[in-house]
Amino acid sequence: MRTNYRVNSGVRFQMLSKDQLQELFEGVLHVLEYTGLDVHHDEARDILKKAGAWVDGLRVRIPSYLIKRSLEMAPRSFTVFARDGNPKHDIHIGPGRAHFGPGPTCPNFIDVETLERRPYVKDDVPIVAKMVDALPNIDFCESLGTVSDVHHELGATYEFAGMFPNTSKPIVAWSYSWDDSADIHKIAVAEAGGQEAFEKRPNYIHYCEPLSPLVSTFEAMDKLVFAARHRVPLIFTPCPLAGGTGPVTAAGMIIQAAAESWMGLTVAQAIQPGLPFIMGGVLSVLDMNSMILAYGAPELSLMMAGITELAHYVGLPVWQTGGCTDSKTLDEQAAIEGSLSCFFSALTAGDLCHDVGYTESAMTGSVFQLAMMDEAIGYSRRITRGIEVNEDTLAVDVIRNVGPNGHYLYEKHTHRYYKTEFWYPNLCDRRNFEEWSEMGRMTMRDRVVARVQDILASHQPSPIKPETEKVIREVLEAAEDRVKEEA
Amino acid sequence: MSTIYERLSTVIIEGNEEKVPKLVQKGLDEGLVPKDILDKGLIVGMNEVGARFKRGDMFVPEVLMSAKSMQAGLEVLRPHLIASGAKLIGKIVMGTVKGDLHDICKNLVGMMCEGAGFELIDLGFNVEPEKFVEAIKEYQPDIVGMSALLTTTMRAMGYTIKAIEEAGLRDKVKIMVGGAPVDAEFAERIGADGYGSNAPSGAELAKRLVGAA
Ligand code: B12
Repeated sequence: MRTNYRVNSGVRFQMLSKDQLQELFEGVLHVLEYTGLDVHHDEARDILKKAGAWVDGLRVRIPSYLIKRSLEMAPRSFTVFARDGNPKHDIHIGPGRAHFGPGPTCPNFIDVETLERRPYVKDDVPIVAKMVDALPNIDFCESLGTVSDVHHELGATYEFAGMFPNTSKPIVAWSYSWDDSADIHKIAVAEAGGQEAFEKRPNYIHYCEPLSPLVSTFEAMDKLVFAARHRVPLIFTPCPLAGGTGPVTAAGMIIQAAAESWMGLTVAQAIQPGLPFIMGGVLSVLDMNSMILAYGAPELSLMMAGITELAHYVGLPVWQTGGCTDSKTLDEQAAIEGSLSCFFSALTAGDLCHDVGYTESAMTGSVFQLAMMDEAIGYSRRITRGIEVNEDTLAVDVIRNVGPNGHYLYEKHTHRYYKTEFWYPNLCDRRNFEEWSEMGRMTMRDRVVARVQDILASHQPSPIKPETEKVIREVLEAAEDRVKEEA
Repeated sequence: MSTIYERLSTVIIEGNEEKVPKLVQKGLDEGLVPKDILDKGLIVGMNEVGARFKRGDMFVPEVLMSAKSMQAGLEVLRPHLIASGAKLIGKIVMGTVKGDLHDICKNLVGMMCEGAGFELIDLGFNVEPEKFVEAIKEYQPDIVGMSALLTTTMRAMGYTIKAIEEAGLRDKVKIMVGGAPVDAEFAERIGADGYGSNAPSGAELAKRLVGAA
């Protein structure tokens, strides 16, 4: 028996001290209390006012006690469930757990046959969902694209309708407005077995984006109100560009983004106390040469680590970012940028790390990048799992048994552990030169392409209920009618 | 002793918002031709800024400071240019189209155009076609610049151009478009006069559209 013994079961990472985090926290409270945000949504402003916020025209300021109360109300831990009851696909959000998934709405896609960049279409949705379903280190689904070949108001509806049957991993859904949010919800609720059943076992998360600096747009708020009313777990994530739409300093960026996100938190908790709420956002730099928001910048990882620590300090889960790149193709840059941000994100235990598979600074989605990052995440997860120290792993007895000049290959101890102590790559090549030559001298890129095509040819996601298939057809028909009526 | 023109270009490159208008005034007081102050001083400075930016020797914030000081100089110079009958480079009305809330893109392009000497009227974001039309009537710009960052709002550029046509104003303005999902082919399809892939090329394009480059 050990007494007074401390265990670090994984790799520990902490960047900011308690004092620094408290200072950041006070900064957010100050911004919300004294500067406030413009909220372009009448009902949301009313809700805020009733909750105790100060409303002056569009401007809403929130007293710090109200923020603290809202933080108190939102859970730190909750579960998002696999639609098919497969416990392996459930996501348990809570301390020390990092999950990964793709990002939303890129205009372009890397075609899985030709490997060329082209507009994202409806048929790409099942491809992405299937890849997500099959890849062992990808935990939730987004579609990596905006469907371009349907009516422009129905992209999100078709997207969800295409993802839902093709993966049972939880989906993070985005939408344009109330109407398509309702389409999505209908499909998810049908599979869950009704609204009440959905509330007990939510199978998707809704995602909205406020505008930096310091604006809650009508759309973002309207979608938030929808999600809160229907008890859909919610992500509220701004995307400030350091030096452009946010302060140039990392600390300032974290404060502004948190303030923008917590405006959503306050509305959400006022509507639906205890609603699972995941704070954002995506923090990176406006590159002062190329003028892009850099998705492969070290500052992205750094700022994301900072906001993750702040979120955890106040007891909220966070919408992390990683596995993305500014590279236009599946090359060394894509591997470096994507892998390092995955690893860094894993170290922070940021709860849901998205944008895995983004290339060209969020302009092009790529399942090849996604598959390559699956490997990087597996690698990272082996490291963050850490070193287990106990009587058995210390292996003092085994070392004695083997003694000088022996070997460990026959040892039971070896057989007991070699599969779990070691991580085995799917893509990284460890063969010797001759074997590698014989196998056709495949590069990482070749192996990624082969793995993607292999998965797409063979993987079968678990089916949805026949009733849900019917609901999907109905929802799509009704949606088509809706846009026809409008026209 | 360097000439006032040389000193003007230097303070433009430095982005010195205070010194530029003072030097312009000094030039005017010494009887220099307003158009020469512009062409041999301010513009020469801004051209160098553009070149340095392209080489990666200058960064966006520095370029914008130069553009701002250029505008400060023009403030002083403009009445004299007008009085002397010199042609001003032009006026641009700029906005992000209806349904689109992305705005830093258009801000950057606008500021770079200011750096090229244009007068800028910023209509903001989520700008309805009618608002563009009204702005053309009110400000009589040479160029209308539109930005769209979403594949779903790109179409609003087309609608805006239609609205401008229907108001009978299409031949009064040149139209330039840009934004991440927009390309030259799309610009041509909707009947725009030009497309720019980033802020500096937007400013270059604007100059070309008014025949100043
Ligand atoms: C920041 C950002 C936001 C911020 C905007 C904040 C703000 N104040 O502007 C927020 C969070 C609000 C936002 C919201 C949304 N966004 Co957004 N956003 C971005 C992001 C990450 C960066 C844009 C940016 O500012 N870049 C930096 C600027 C300087 O570059 P730029 O915009 O490209 O502009 C340059 C050139 O294009 C050119 N240019 C631009 N305009 C013009 C005009 C002229 C005349 C000329 C000559 C040149 C020119 O010059 C500029 C300077 O060099 C892009 C990703 C990307 N790579 O673009 C996504 C992106 C544009 N967004 C996207 C989406 C989908 C959305 C949302 C629909 C998401 C949602 N579901 O809520 C909403 C839509 C809101 C709305 N109705 O507009 C998609 C678009 C996909 C598509 N199919 O069209 C992108 C590509 C990201 C993605 N993969 O999801 N977004």
